[in-house]
Amino acid sequence: MPEPAPRSGPHKVLLAFYALFTLAAGARAAVQLLTQYDEAPVAYWLSAAAAVTYALGWYAIRRASVGHTGFASVMLWVELGGVLTVGTLSLVERDWFPDASVWSDYGIGYGFVPAVLPIAGLLWLRRQKQQAPEGARAGA
Amino acid sequence: MQSALHTPLGQLTLVAAGYAGLVTLVALVTTVRRVPRPAWLDHMVWILELLLAVRAVAGLGSMLGGQRPEEMSAHVGYLVASVCILPIAMQSISDDRGTWSSGVVTVAALAVTVVAVRLQMTWGHGA
Repeated sequence: MPEPAPRSGPHKVLLAFYALFTLAAGARAAVQLLTQYDEAPVAYWLSAAAAVTYALGWYAIRRASVGHTGFASVMLWVELGGVLTVGTLSLVERDWFPDASVWSDYGIGYGFVPAVLPIAGLLWLRRQKQQAPEGARAGA
Repeated sequence: MQSALHTPLGQLTLVAAGYAGLVTLVALVTTVRRVPRPAWLDHMVWILELLLAVRAVAGLGSMLGGQRPEEMSAHVGYLVASVCILPIAMQSISDDRGTWSSGVVTVAALAVTVVAVRLQMTWGHGA
């Protein structure tokens, strides 16, 4: 049976943020990996990983908006873990980050939106799980 | 950014950034008021898109005329993003006039504001 189109709701704003950050982190990582790889390869690969995380997060939220919350339950925690780990490492191990990655200092270069985004997503997901029918959840 | 005011391209970028900031603010107020997305907000978005398209053509003209931005690849990336973000955002809410669709406009207009400022920064030498 085809899935119904996602309803209007706050997930549309989350999807906009995730699409935007997929683009921003992906383009940034691509340019830096191609033009200045030797300056800070760890930071640039972490930015590429952030871009992949945002792309998967976008897909996860889209699925969760039609009731399949399973993937989002994993992905949003992975994303939060990534932001907190990279953010902390960038403060503790400054030598590893001669140049910033997207998640350096908990996303300070992006107004801390990378730190707020997974938390907002998890809060939305919690409400979504309460509203989603049991059958749809079982199919996730 | 100081010398930006002395060139037509820099002035155009600042106008685009300022107007994008205004659209962001208006879209945010519309979202917070929790009313359906009004048609005039769409009109504001398309006027902004027109402004950005003119800015992109002018920027491209400058580059083809021999001027080079200080950060070429980043600048071209921002130039492409500046004209793509709003149409994609509007397409994603084309069948949705709910209050949260104004939130999408807020996010897109905010992104365009930042992109316009970054366009000026990556150009470097007074646009």
